[in-house]
Amino acid sequence: MNKDAAYWIALAHLPRWGRLKINNLIIKFYHKNKLTPEDFFQLSVNDWKNNYDLEYKEIEDLEKAKSELANSAFLAESLLNEGYEIIPITSSEYSKTLKDNLKVAHAPALLYVKGNRQIMQEKSIAIVGSRNTSEISLRFTDNIAKLASKEYKVIVSGFAKGVDKQALDSAIKYKGQSIIVLPQGIMTFGSGYKKYYKQIIDGDVLVLSTFHPKAPWKVELAMARNPIIYGLAAEIYVAESSDKGGTWSGVIDGLRKNRKIFVRKPEESEKNANHLLIQKGAIPIDFNGKTIKDYVPVENKDLFSSMNEPMADYEKKIIDFLRNGEYAVKDIIKKFNLNISEKKLRDFLKSHKEVEILNKKPLRFTLKRNIEQQKRLFDQ
Amino acid sequence: MNRQEAENILKRTFDIDRFYNKQWGTIEKILKGERVLLIEKTGFGKSLCFQFPAIMFKGTTIIFSPLIALMRDQVKNLNSLGIAAKCINSEQTPEENSQIMSEAKEGKLKILYIAPERQENSEWIEATRQMSLSMVVVDEAHCISVWGHDFRPSFRRILNLVNLLPKGMPVLATTATATKKVEADIAQQMGGNLTIIRGNLMRENFRLFVIKVNSEDEKLIWLGKNLSKLPGSGILYTGTRVDTEIYSKWFEYLKISSIGYNAGLDPDSRIAIENGLMKNQWKCVISTNALGMGIDKPDIRFIIHTQIPQSPVHYYQEIGRAGRDGEPADIILFYNPEDRDLPEAFIEGGRPAIPKYEKVIEAVKSELLGERELMRRTNLKQTQIRVIKADLVEQKIIREVTIDRSKKFEYITGAPKLNPKAFEELRALKTADLEKMIGYVETTGSRMKYLCNFLGDSDNRFFKNCDNTGLQKLKVAITPDWTEKLQAYRENYFPELKVETKGSNLVNGVAASYYGVSNVGAAIHRSKYENGGDFPDFLLRFTLKAFRKKFGQEKFDMILYIPPTKSGELVKNFAIKISQVLKIPISHNLRKQRQTSEQKVFENSYLKADNVRDAFTYNNPTEIEDKSILLIDDIFDSGATVKEIGRYLINSGAKKIAPLVIAKTVGGDLT
Ligand SMILES: Nc1ncnc2c1ncn2[C@@H]1O[C@H](COP(=O)(O)OP(=O)(O)O)[C@@H](O)[C@H]1O
Ligand SMILES: [Mg+2]
Repeated sequence: MNKDAAYWIALAHLPRWGRLKINNLIIKFYHKNKLTPEDFFQLSVNDWKNNYDLEYKEIEDLEKAKSELANSAFLAESLLNEGYEIIPITSSEYSKTLKDNLKVAHAPALLYVKGNRQIMQEKSIAIVGSRNTSEISLRFTDNIAKLASKEYKVIVSGFAKGVDKQALDSAIKYKGQSIIVLPQGIMTFGSGYKKYYKQIIDGDVLVLSTFHPKAPWKVELAMARNPIIYGLAAEIYVAESSDKGGTWSGVIDGLRKNRKIFVRKPEESEKNANHLLIQKGAIPIDFNGKTIKDYVPVENKDLFSSMNEPMADYEKKIIDFLRNGEYAVKDIIKKFNLNISEKKLRDFLKSHKEVEILNKKPLRFTLKRNIEQQKRLFDQ
Repeated sequence: MNRQEAENILKRTFDIDRFYNKQWGTIEKILKGERVLLIEKTGFGKSLCFQFPAIMFKGTTIIFSPLIALMRDQVKNLNSLGIAAKCINSEQTPEENSQIMSEAKEGKLKILYIAPERQENSEWIEATRQMSLSMVVVDEAHCISVWGHDFRPSFRRILNLVNLLPKGMPVLATTATATKKVEADIAQQMGGNLTIIRGNLMRENFRLFVIKVNSEDEKLIWLGKNLSKLPGSGILYTGTRVDTEIYSKWFEYLKISSIGYNAGLDPDSRIAIENGLMKNQWKCVISTNALGMGIDKPDIRFIIHTQIPQSPVHYYQEIGRAGRDGEPADIILFYNPEDRDLPEAFIEGGRPAIPKYEKVIEAVKSELLGERELMRRTNLKQTQIRVIKADLVEQKIIREVTIDRSKKFEYITGAPKLNPKAFEELRALKTADLEKMIGYVETTGSRMKYLCNFLGDSDNRFFKNCDNTGLQKLKVAITPDWTEKLQAYRENYFPELKVETKGSNLVNGVAASYYGVSNVGAAIHRSKYENGGDFPDFLLRFTLKAFRKKFGQEKFDMILYIPPTKSGELVKNFAIKISQVLKIPISHNLRKQRQTSEQKVFENSYLKADNVRDAFTYNNPTEIEDKSILLIDDIFDSGATVKEIGRYLINSGAKKIAPLVIAKTVGGDLT
């Protein structure tokens, strides 16, 4: 596999191709035509055009990638020499859970890892939640990690502050195994390797990234990493979610994909969106992860103070709509025949992370490009 | 492109009329994107085989080369032909290197030379992402093989790189010295689709001599008498750095124009000597074998070895540097049966004992450590750590990683156990090679043929170019006048103590002798460890002589001596005597403020420095202010103690501090 490293790197990062297109290409040449990546890159432009239904622009991309293979080789050498490994989607070592969860459309073509690859084959859970989270959520996280570690389940952690970090620390504390999913390139995790050195060489931690090995941390990457965390986990536990942001949208998308998602039933005094998630189909659980059979839905308007209920229903539609272009609030209200004030909608759009505000008169709204891509990952 | 067209371009750009057949054979393949291993003798013109294609290709050609001097030399030649070539190396400033990387990224360079170690540098890896790469060259490719005479672990990585390069990317590896075994090893590692082109290795213009002697004196005397009579200028290779010093001072004493060179010199001095060598500035450059590999100097007229090399491959590689112009060159090897001790010790002691390996493995298992930290944890010498590190990397037990720009050693999960058998095999091979080298001394047949056979060159021509096949044998004749000259030189030669750093008040000092080289060491040992009483007077005489030679009439205000680790007045009494003769007041106020261990317990200079840090104090510091101080001790080893005291005294206001000792040990730790 390593012999082909440069080719895989070139394939996995074909600019703006999207995972579906890349994976389809791999399926075609690798599984159907039984070609190695090296063979594939040796093909003539005509072969590409005729046998792979590639368009002019795509062939141009491939030619460019081909001309940069030597550059990728330099990178690959340095990567492999430092003990990182690459696992292409064709490899038997590629996480089956990830492949099953994300499918052709969304599974990354290449994983970069360091540590015990075997961990990817184990049963796994992810515990997710906000960065700024309550004490009780952290204790819940610790408890779930403890129970999981006892059952030899791997904890998948996004290495963010709060719940993510707690999940990882607890897994280590209870001598369990974990996967750290990086919001950055695998080669830029410097001090992290120092910190988790013992766990990595003892085979208890696997560090994983899907980005270009040298990519520095970026908000966009942190967002794009979330589906990988959900994808790597067979079960998802939610410690705490607010009514927007990464955890929220991750869970909503997961539910839409019929993933089993467990949400901690909050105490009465808590202000978060856990109840709302349960109402949307997540499974309520107690502090020990046990399903709560006699769950009684809680009616509490205050929980979603930033928007009224109808808004929440329309959120997805509006966001989808924004994908088509730039719109003023007026247009949107008209389009959906909404019964709310312009100000309210404007405030909602302004506060929405996925929405880009265009400074025109009147204000226009559209979708952030990268976010749009990331969302697409979960649309079936 | 056909040969005719290529040769037209060759004439225009390189001012060379035509390719040799083997050159064209190689170049044709390279232009087609193939991979070639080219084994041809030194001076054949291997460089052209990559330089020519490099200028034909659109992008930049990367050339991995083991020696900075060699890169500089080739870059200079190319630039003089108007070809855009540069090198990146550790002797240029980071800014210069960055600048060159930018030029490469902008496509301004046709040829870029780099050291294989550069692959470890993340800025470089980052830069390669944006270069347009057209070919990769591995010059001096024998460094790839552990079976070669000059294995370099960093070349291993280059091989990994070569194996990752895409099909159709031309790769050329060149060497002048590959035995069949090394050839096979390189070929296997470079993977399939490799064409091997091998030329014959005979060098008819060599005049090979062996001079058998029974002592170091005989070598010195023969050279003293005959060096000036040899035609042209050349290189004298010695076995150790200390020997480069002893021989160059000897020639200096005899007023024979010469200069000493070794890898310990600063880059500026090295560049100056390399340039001087090219211009025949001296009759002779005296060097360890670091100098000269691959350098395109046509007229090195002689190469002399005062120390038998480890193997015929080493020897062939080193003498290969002579007579590249095809004119006669004298190749002289001195051999004293005792000389085999050095390479033998190197082979035997070249590898630290197994428990030291285990110690390193254990340390690396428990923590991510850099070289320094590892030295502190294990109390091993830097040289040993490096050998162990290279072996453990080779055996895939540890790997080197870069964390936040610093290098660390990482244990490889699931690594195999240490395999000492691999060392045994290598040792056996090296011992056999040394025997073969001694066989070269003893052979009664053609020496050229002997070497070529060893290298796997099956040419059957007969040569009359050695002292067994027609040339007059060289002999040493000892005459009393030369014995006296040598004696006088010995008594007037004093090793320098290098402690100076730029802008510091601590200046270089002097020792009366090397510890192991004369009877001085034995005398010190008797007094120190065998209750022999005060240091004998002859040591005092020697030391005073050294003082006068080094410092002449320089004025000193006071004498201090280094307080002993254990009780004892040896150094104190010695310093008092010096103070009496030189009439410089002595002070007893330099004291230890805490217990230290004997420095010799510590194997490396970090621990030595730790051992003495803040260990000294001066009772009445105002006495020191603005004073020139002579600092006396018996033995100078790593210099850590002198440096620590120097630092302390400077902080207390001293104007100048110069160390004066009886003996300097050979080969401190970090030099
Ligand atoms: N075809 C040729 N005709 C004449 N001179 C040549 C030819 N090829 C190379 N040379 C010269 O031979 C010299 C030695 O070349 P170099 O490449 O340094 O040798 P090496 O094989 O030792 O690397 C150079 O000065 C070079 O210009
Ligand atoms: Mg050469």
